[in-house]
Amino acid sequence: MSMIGEFTEARARPRLSGSGIFGLALLSLLGSFALVGPVVIPTDPAAQDFSASLAPIGGDYLLGADHYGRSLLARLAHGARLSFGLAFLTMLAAALPGVLFGLVAAWKGGWIERLMELLATVVLALPGLMLVLLLLAFSPGNYGPLFLGLSLTLWVEFYRVTRATSKTILAQLHIEAARVLGFGSGYILRNHVLPVIAPTIATLAAFAMATAIIAVSTLSAISVGLQPPTPELGSMIVELLPYYAEAPLHVLMPAMLIFLLVLGLQLVAEGDRG
Amino acid sequence: MGNFLVARLAQAAIVTIVVGALSFVLIRILPGDAAMRIAAGRYGPDASITEAAAKVRLELGLDRPVAVQFLEWLGNLLRFDLGHSLVTAAPVVHELQVQLGASAWLAAAALTLSILIGPAIGVLSGLRPGGVADRLGLAGAAIFRAMPPFVLGLLLMLVFSKQLSWLPPAGFGSPREILLPALTLALGLAAMSSRVARNSVAAVVKAPYFAFARHKGLPEAVVVRRHGLRNAAIPVVSYLGLQAIYLVEGVVVVESLFAYPGIGHALVHAIIERDVPMVQGTALVMGLMFVAIAALVDAISLWLDPRLRRTA
Amino acid sequence: MNVRTAIQELSVSGLAVESAAGRVVSDISFTIGRGRPLTLLGESGSGKSLVAQAIMGSLPPELRATGKVRLDGNDLLAGSRGVQRRLWGREISLLPQEPWLALDPTMRVQGQVAEVHRYVKGRDARRSRQLAAGNLGEVDLPGAGRLYPFQMSGGMAQRVAIAIAHAAGSDLLIADEPTKGLDAALRDSVTARLRQEVENGRLLLTITHDVAVARALGGMVGVMLNGELIECGPAERQLSAPTHDYSRALLAADPESWSRQAPTTPGGVVLAGYGLAKAFGEASLFADLNVEIRAGEIVAVVGPSGCGKTTLGNILLGLVKSDSGSVERRNDLPALRYQKLYQDPPSVFAPHQPIRKGLADLARLHGRSWNVVERLVSRLRLQSSLLDRLPGQISGGELQRFALVRALLLEPVFLFADEATSRLDPVSQREVVAFLLEIVRETGLGVLLVTHDRHLAERISNRVIDFAQ
Repeated sequence: MSMIGEFTEARARPRLSGSGIFGLALLSLLGSFALVGPVVIPTDPAAQDFSASLAPIGGDYLLGADHYGRSLLARLAHGARLSFGLAFLTMLAAALPGVLFGLVAAWKGGWIERLMELLATVVLALPGLMLVLLLLAFSPGNYGPLFLGLSLTLWVEFYRVTRATSKTILAQLHIEAARVLGFGSGYILRNHVLPVIAPTIATLAAFAMATAIIAVSTLSAISVGLQPPTPELGSMIVELLPYYAEAPLHVLMPAMLIFLLVLGLQLVAEGDRG
Repeated sequence: MGNFLVARLAQAAIVTIVVGALSFVLIRILPGDAAMRIAAGRYGPDASITEAAAKVRLELGLDRPVAVQFLEWLGNLLRFDLGHSLVTAAPVVHELQVQLGASAWLAAAALTLSILIGPAIGVLSGLRPGGVADRLGLAGAAIFRAMPPFVLGLLLMLVFSKQLSWLPPAGFGSPREILLPALTLALGLAAMSSRVARNSVAAVVKAPYFAFARHKGLPEAVVVRRHGLRNAAIPVVSYLGLQAIYLVEGVVVVESLFAYPGIGHALVHAIIERDVPMVQGTALVMGLMFVAIAALVDAISLWLDPRLRRTA
Repeated sequence: MNVRTAIQELSVSGLAVESAAGRVVSDISFTIGRGRPLTLLGESGSGKSLVAQAIMGSLPPELRATGKVRLDGNDLLAGSRGVQRRLWGREISLLPQEPWLALDPTMRVQGQVAEVHRYVKGRDARRSRQLAAGNLGEVDLPGAGRLYPFQMSGGMAQRVAIAIAHAAGSDLLIADEPTKGLDAALRDSVTARLRQEVENGRLLLTITHDVAVARALGGMVGVMLNGELIECGPAERQLSAPTHDYSRALLAADPESWSRQAPTTPGGVVLAGYGLAKAFGEASLFADLNVEIRAGEIVAVVGPSGCGKTTLGNILLGLVKSDSGSVERRNDLPALRYQKLYQDPPSVFAPHQPIRKGLADLARLHGRSWNVVERLVSRLRLQSSLLDRLPGQISGGELQRFALVRALLLEPVFLFADEATSRLDPVSQREVVAFLLEIVRETGLGVLLVTHDRHLAERISNRVIDFAQ
């Protein structure tokens, strides 16, 4: 739940490294599976067919079927879309206020900054997952508290990094120099601040999405997140686990998908950092 | 020097207030008779439960402002009067005592294992950046970091319990049972700390003070012992502070996965059963455990790095 | 104590340093004897540090030294690198660049001196501590052993490095840019200390880009350019009558050797401060200070770092508020015509913005045509190809001239030049100053010149405000 990484220094965006390109390719592949898959695969991910229970890979069902005879291909595609979509929305809901508050706190200082800092301290006092768990207690198995809890924890990282980086930039002499030359705040924001923080924010966004994907699947896997029959990757793994002896690959496929999603995001994030 | 202590105490206070406030709201919005539920949570399910409920209902009366009720709730919390479980009816404190021991063991075992694995790989990688050990370390770290703890735990369980039958898949009581959950957490922690250690070692080896120690004529072993180890350890230890988050979150997940009878497992169960006093008690203890680990890391960092004692 | 005869002479002949791509340093020959230190002068990239590293045996692995380096007849390059390394801390000591970075940040200074006695000389722990305390006393730092490096000033750290060399008791001292990052007063105390080492019979090789250091150390001076030693001879001769063109340019660029060339026809007052006072906390920087700057004159402010020179300029520009007093500007002119030139040019340009974009935006903002910009650019002899680079991709001297272009575009009546040439190499400094003087004469610009370089201030200003008193 913590976005691990040290983002103290900001520098020009270097070209993506080799692993960054690999991550980007991986993400594009998985992204199109998540976007296009649910549209072109006609099978309903919830449609049960008991005659096809635990159908093997490569038969009538391309990637087999689960114990209820539901198409795993369809379920994986919907699961990928759910993970990606929820992670993306969560990231947006965290990044927008986080970056905005960070800029305002750095720019204005004073009581606004102190208030923001207090808010961040309060949110960070508990590990993020604990906060999400406490909110989930209000309404287990629903999107609302999950989304709210994740965004609530993740915005802090955006806020703190934006504030710290912007504060450093704003204290630099090129800002004073630009003001002496007559440039206004809007120009300084666009040309002096944003180009420096943008790559860092992009990195954070990728990490935040990876964190959200891990959290969503983990919470369903321990039965407090989204509940079956929702085609969620984490709960698919747990549902299929009892049938591991008969169909080991069925269990491993959703696990692999989570792994690749997170790996792709982390590689892109790190490639960004150069 | 006292600053960090004040900050950690403040953090502990915030943890208590956040957990208390959420539980306070939670117990009031659950469906059913709130008074009955609160009475059961507060006094335990004895024969006089209905009377108690009546008393509570009187207390909860609209004439009393919410703020007063909340302060009273927090007051109980501060006295560590956590009430009774709504499910088992046992006092929450009793349950926590047993579970805390189990969780502390798990966390300690995981942390120890990760410190044995992570920095060792990091040092090997950092001494020759770009070498074989570094590349292997990087790949390993990338793979293990991309694996959520529950997936990693499942894989370990499948390999060591189901395929090889070396270790029990679940339970508690013997070192064999703690090994799989601890290893799951340790691998995740080590994946991250190995890279921090690697960067730190690589930076120290390039540092001007390291070169100067050689130029002074000190033997290589003395250079490493006197000027390498401490400096390289500083970022690794302060990173452990960040890892405390991963550790506490991981304990919740891994305990649930391996049915390991610790506080994290209890917390998840309490949430599923909406046993508010238990939710509050377990969340509070886990939150405070997190603060305690962070405070310990602070203390070690202060001891290692005189620059942090500057203001003292 | 071990009895051993002191080394009399370091003699280098035909020394070259090679990389895979070819020679980077070639044919270096000189001799250092007792009482005759050698100072190698040169710009960064001239190869002077590589010479020091070749003698020391600390070249990066991709570089190789050939030729002869004899310490009293023993050829150091004949053996393996391990042989040279065995001399470290015994026969040869290095005074590092930026010693505050070369000391271990997490160890008390005493231990860093004592470990030489303990692990190089093999003495016991107690004796090592006593001797280390003595070494620190010798460099006027008695009792500083309890301090950590971050608790010391740059000058103190440099003295600790010398104490470490004393502990080693080695006869050859190699000082690599020992005054880098120090201001004039500290620089003089370090060179005085080095002189003392020479008088105590040590052989001294100093690497520097600072002519003043070479002058203060005396002995022999060598000038390096593009990996070659173009001249080498007694300091008196080298620093007064050099033969090589480059050495002449190098010396001519030193403000000390300039002729006085202050502008002569001041006009009306463009900016004035009366009764100014400023304090940070308890420490008062200045009080009841009056200053007037007239059109077409240069007023210099000199003093050591931290004395409030820059703060005065910032108060006059309105960037900092004074505690008391008043600043008077010509009220018929907009604030934009009061401009500032900064010390460190790379830090005053938006790092991600090509120069051209910054200048174009500035011209558009103030309704100037691009032709004006181009005229100024060529006037300051800046190639227009530089316009498309990022600030980090061009030299400090060029960037400072672009900063001047920016300021001049706004037709300033007043310019606050805050140590505007102190980070530039001597030749670039001279060029920028020459342009500034031209512009002052032509446009009647009034300049407040803040500098720590007294010679520079005296040579080009009409009046000097001295903060040292």
